[in-house]
Amino acid sequence: MKILGSNVAIRLVISLLSVLLVSQVRADSCPEVNHEALAWLDKMSHSAREVSYQGVVTFQLGDDMQVMQISHSVDTAGTSESLTQLTGQGARVTRINHPLDCIHPGHKLLRLSEDIRAGARLPGTTGPQDCGIAGHYQFSVLEGERIAGRKAIRIIIEARDMYRYGYVMELDKKTGLLLKERTIGRGDKVLERFQFANISYTNENIPTDSVDVVHHASHPERKAHTGVEPSVDHYPAALWNPLWLPKGFMSTDDASNSAKRRTYTDGLAVFSVFLEILPRDIQPGEGVVRHGGTTSYTRGIRIDSKPALITVIGEVPVNTARMVADSVRWVQ
Amino acid sequence: MSERLRESLSAVMDGEANELELERVLSHIEDDEQLRQTWVRYSAVRSVSEGAHIADLSMDVSRVVSAALSKEGATTGAKINAAVQRLVKPLASFAVAASVAATVVIGGQQLYQIGDKTPYGNTIAGTSPVGLINTVGATAVQASFGTQSLPALQPTVRMAYQKLARQRMQKYMQEHVEQAALNSPAGMIPFARIKKIEE
Repeated sequence: MKILGSNVAIRLVISLLSVLLVSQVRADSCPEVNHEALAWLDKMSHSAREVSYQGVVTFQLGDDMQVMQISHSVDTAGTSESLTQLTGQGARVTRINHPLDCIHPGHKLLRLSEDIRAGARLPGTTGPQDCGIAGHYQFSVLEGERIAGRKAIRIIIEARDMYRYGYVMELDKKTGLLLKERTIGRGDKVLERFQFANISYTNENIPTDSVDVVHHASHPERKAHTGVEPSVDHYPAALWNPLWLPKGFMSTDDASNSAKRRTYTDGLAVFSVFLEILPRDIQPGEGVVRHGGTTSYTRGIRIDSKPALITVIGEVPVNTARMVADSVRWVQ
Repeated sequence: MSERLRESLSAVMDGEANELELERVLSHIEDDEQLRQTWVRYSAVRSVSEGAHIADLSMDVSRVVSAALSKEGATTGAKINAAVQRLVKPLASFAVAASVAATVVIGGQQLYQIGDKTPYGNTIAGTSPVGLINTVGATAVQASFGTQSLPALQPTVRMAYQKLARQRMQKYMQEHVEQAALNSPAGMIPFARIKKIEE
């Protein structure tokens, strides 16, 4: 009986210990997470879709300043939004009836605040807990300035590695809407910034006055709704993939292995990779263009003796674009 | 060394140099001892401030260049230029294109060590990084996937690629922005990045 008793006691101690250890691992697995900041990002993602507003936004890219009218309205059919350029080309981009339950990966990555707090494993991950966006950026929340007449809070977002940029965001203290954003590159250089000059939270229809160019923003087909597979672009008719991505980036759509474009996001930054198979050999080389926070990197390359041109466009440092382009391979 | 040249060098080291600045530095690197020393000093200061391990600080790119030049017995300006270009261009284009401190990779020599064994994401096993650049905190950064080396580009080829990159940016920007608009918190605002929106 005594032996049995001590066995039970040992088992109890072991199970207690393991519970303690597990909870310890859980508590320590995302040590520096700023839950206040994550809650704000979550709120920002929701308000970007679920709040009605209109306003004028200025966008500065390098020396270039653009001014645009933004309109965003929500009803039972979903969100309808438009952007009308008040400078330059004067074009309008519209998106009508975007269902509220259609959440794209970039927004999913911003809405993990509760999961991370609860220590839950994020969708599609295995092994130790993934800290989501908090694993790749460091956040601090401060009192913000007044933007477009609204009181704002400021979130300073620093990248934990050099594969992405930093940001300073100002969110409306009441609604969580992103009112101002600065993209910060190397040496604390502001690469681009946009901010609302004025904003009103009203539900108005998108403007119908005539402009020369109206573009209807594209949207990937929804399998659940249409039952149709997303249309596959059969060019370049070869299977390829980048073998390397910075940590935390995931595909934004179900692009097949043969599509000529792939796009990836970590919730804050987005970049796309385009592949062209060339009919004849190209002298290997690279070219870079930067505009505001956008990098466009084009690389002539031979992949298994097949000449190809790879272009990586996105709001990431040149080095990231180069690494991704360098890692593109055919998939057998 | 003029203030302008110093600024240009700093830009090259930061990977922020434009074509003009790059040309300025390259055209002076051979004759300007002070510029060469500053180059070495900048990279040393930077490595230390960024906590990188430095294997060999006494290494001087320009000396490698000079040594190679004298070896080739290049006497005419054109020959020197060609030799300098051949030797320095890979470094220089690396610096511009990849935000790389130019002294990091010299003749395939890797001066910095990777602090973290797996500093990058889903990389395949068995690849060796060609260029490893500066660090922030404890995270090392790889500058190249490392399996395909990039040759030194002749000026004409470089210009052609610059043009091609500009063209491709215009061609693909809208398709990229369509995705960015759906996946970033700024909603439609990324469309402001497109120079000319197509219907």
